[in-house]
Amino acid sequence: MNIRRVAAVASKEWREVTRDRMFLLLAFCMPAVWMFVFGYGLVLDVEHISFVVVDRDHSSLSRDYLYRFYQSRYFSFQGELAGEGNADAWLQSGKARAVIIVPEQFQERLRSGQPTNVQTLIDGTFPLRADITKGYVIAINNAFNMDLLADHLARTRGLSRDEALRRTRPLGLEVRYLYNEEVRSTWSTVPALIMFSLMVSSPLLTALGVVREKETGSIYNIYSSTATRLEFLVGKLVPYVMISALNVVVLWLMAVLLFAVPFKGSLLLFLVTSILFVLTSTGIGLVVSLLVSTQQAALIITVVVSTVPTILFSGLIVPVSSLSQVSQFQAHLFPGMYYTNIVRGTFLKNVGPAVLWPDVLALVVYATVLGTVGYRLFTKRPRI
Amino acid sequence: MKLADRLAVWCRRLAVMTRKELVQLFRDTPLMGFLIYSFTLSVYVTGNGIQTQLKNAGLVVYDADRSVSSRELISRFHPPYFRFDGELTHPDEGFHWLDRGRSMMVLDIPARFHEALTAGEQTAVQLLVDTTNSPQGLSAAGYAARIVGQFSQELIMMRNGQTGSSSTTVPMILSDHRVWFNQDQNETWFESISHLLRMITIFAVLLPAAALVREKERGTVEQLLVSPLTPAQIMLPKVVAMTLVILGATAVALFGVMLPVFDVPIRGSIALLFLLTALFIVATAGIGVFASTVTKNQAQVGMMTLLVVAPMLLLSGIFTPLETMPAWVRYLMALSPLRYFIEIATGILLKGIGLEMLWSQALSMVALGGSLFGFGMWRFRKQFE
Repeated sequence: MNIRRVAAVASKEWREVTRDRMFLLLAFCMPAVWMFVFGYGLVLDVEHISFVVVDRDHSSLSRDYLYRFYQSRYFSFQGELAGEGNADAWLQSGKARAVIIVPEQFQERLRSGQPTNVQTLIDGTFPLRADITKGYVIAINNAFNMDLLADHLARTRGLSRDEALRRTRPLGLEVRYLYNEEVRSTWSTVPALIMFSLMVSSPLLTALGVVREKETGSIYNIYSSTATRLEFLVGKLVPYVMISALNVVVLWLMAVLLFAVPFKGSLLLFLVTSILFVLTSTGIGLVVSLLVSTQQAALIITVVVSTVPTILFSGLIVPVSSLSQVSQFQAHLFPGMYYTNIVRGTFLKNVGPAVLWPDVLALVVYATVLGTVGYRLFTKRPRI
Repeated sequence: MKLADRLAVWCRRLAVMTRKELVQLFRDTPLMGFLIYSFTLSVYVTGNGIQTQLKNAGLVVYDADRSVSSRELISRFHPPYFRFDGELTHPDEGFHWLDRGRSMMVLDIPARFHEALTAGEQTAVQLLVDTTNSPQGLSAAGYAARIVGQFSQELIMMRNGQTGSSSTTVPMILSDHRVWFNQDQNETWFESISHLLRMITIFAVLLPAAALVREKERGTVEQLLVSPLTPAQIMLPKVVAMTLVILGATAVALFGVMLPVFDVPIRGSIALLFLLTALFIVATAGIGVFASTVTKNQAQVGMMTLLVVAPMLLLSGIFTPLETMPAWVRYLMALSPLRYFIEIATGILLKGIGLEMLWSQALSMVALGGSLFGFGMWRFRKQFE
């Protein structure tokens, strides 16, 4: 490999990039804008679940009970219905996600020491939301039950209120959150968003590089030049790796300064693995570019290949461990997952190469395979 | 020329140009292959694979008590929510597991646990939770709290001389949930629908955008402009052709994968679904059309559209519920056709509702698509003046 020829290809490519102002602007804007929008916008705490109530009891106890829902920031009260009949329409139109139905004799039964059923109708179209809603309802019910039980014990056993409360809480759960002690949503999303922004934007930088030359015919200059296949591919990649590497720095600064996410690990490890990751993500674009014959195809294939697995299978939100086996397999086929482990590890966990080496190794293997595939796919003597 | 003749000519031109676009598209074998993959295998893998609820959260236990009670408590952390990863011999080993990401939680049960419980004393267990992925961590802690709460409740019953099942003389609310529209909370339904929508969005924006810019880049648009075709007749056929192709692909995904494999129900009108899907594709294509008029080459248009599409895909309520978004995101997403279409798609398929409840969403898409197209058309004319 002749460095001068690589430099020649790279400088030609670089000129093309800098001449295209809009491209250059977008290349730097895309990751930063996403980081900004998602960093502030992709909040994952489900709150304000809209609900309506049917109170068939209209007693002071039922009002006490429902008040716990009105107060909760997880729920947002939409109104009281006269009967269950209208519940359909509220759930169907999506104006309410849950209907809470307090039965007749709610107060009477509870006061006389008997259990009662409270029915909750939940909109199940979005299973995640349904599950979370159910969890919130159960939590409120449990807290209410504990108080009911304490009152009951105090009354029937003649205990003091404190003693009764103590008896109804025999077992406590002390939860300690690690790495993200205050459980801030941004601390967990922002590092992963570095991965997202790089993984989705970098392949697009290189995706059209070779296929554009194929379409316009300027590739023949390369075919007839002295530059070898490897020199051409490396030269083609260099400017874009540089752009993405600069983006790594910008994104890191945004995470640390703007979003105040603590960086606990080794900066060197982070930077080295980030360059490695950028190499693989730009490499994906280059390989797509070599595979297809039109820019339109390159564009769409790259967007789908880079966006979809990154959103779904890279641990951004859904942890890889909860995917099905086929999807876990697919997750391992994309570099995003490994880099997510590295980013979260270096940002929040302060773990070093001793822990992260399998992920680093996976990125190295990935880059090598991409390089080999690219080299095999590119030929200076195409059959026409 | 009479109006009818002019209309006939206009339509013929539109048809001829649409045919040209379709021929051009079908000639691109890698693209067509990829389109088929995206609407079949990809829908299958995603529908089958994504589980947003807590599942398989790894748990290691340090049990200093090793009693009936402690084992009983541990056994409550069971699949599918939790995955038992083993027991520790020393409490500090837990950090080792969490650092490596091999487990998500460490449950620490103190010595004298059983003794304290039987003696009626208060006691507590400790749970360490990895919150690098905060929603998962919170959800796991929530489930753990539910398990411990249930455990406590049964304990109280036992102490008061009752067995767990006959709780007839204790005042308590029994939670009775009924999940509508998807009784089994089958995640494949929602995930396959949202994945289909994701794919439709990507293709609907990018296909016409790339096709329009390509003509500009190559200069073939100049040829078209000197022909008797009006700008609308150049632009519309691309959108019509792409809409037809994507609608076909949607039908394949729906009838080839989602219905037979995942048993996704069609509770509403299938005709209405396809009609509104077409509307959605056209409205979304408006974004691509608009982007194509402000860019000069396909690399630019790709980046420009992706800049907008990525937030659409993540924040429109197909990935996380709209309820989670901050207010400003919800206002911003009023501009995303996808935000309306997810309600339409799940509404028709799962809830079985019709236009009487979905008219506002449909109107919003019409308004959005109309203004995007109007603006795109205006820019398209203007750029050649």
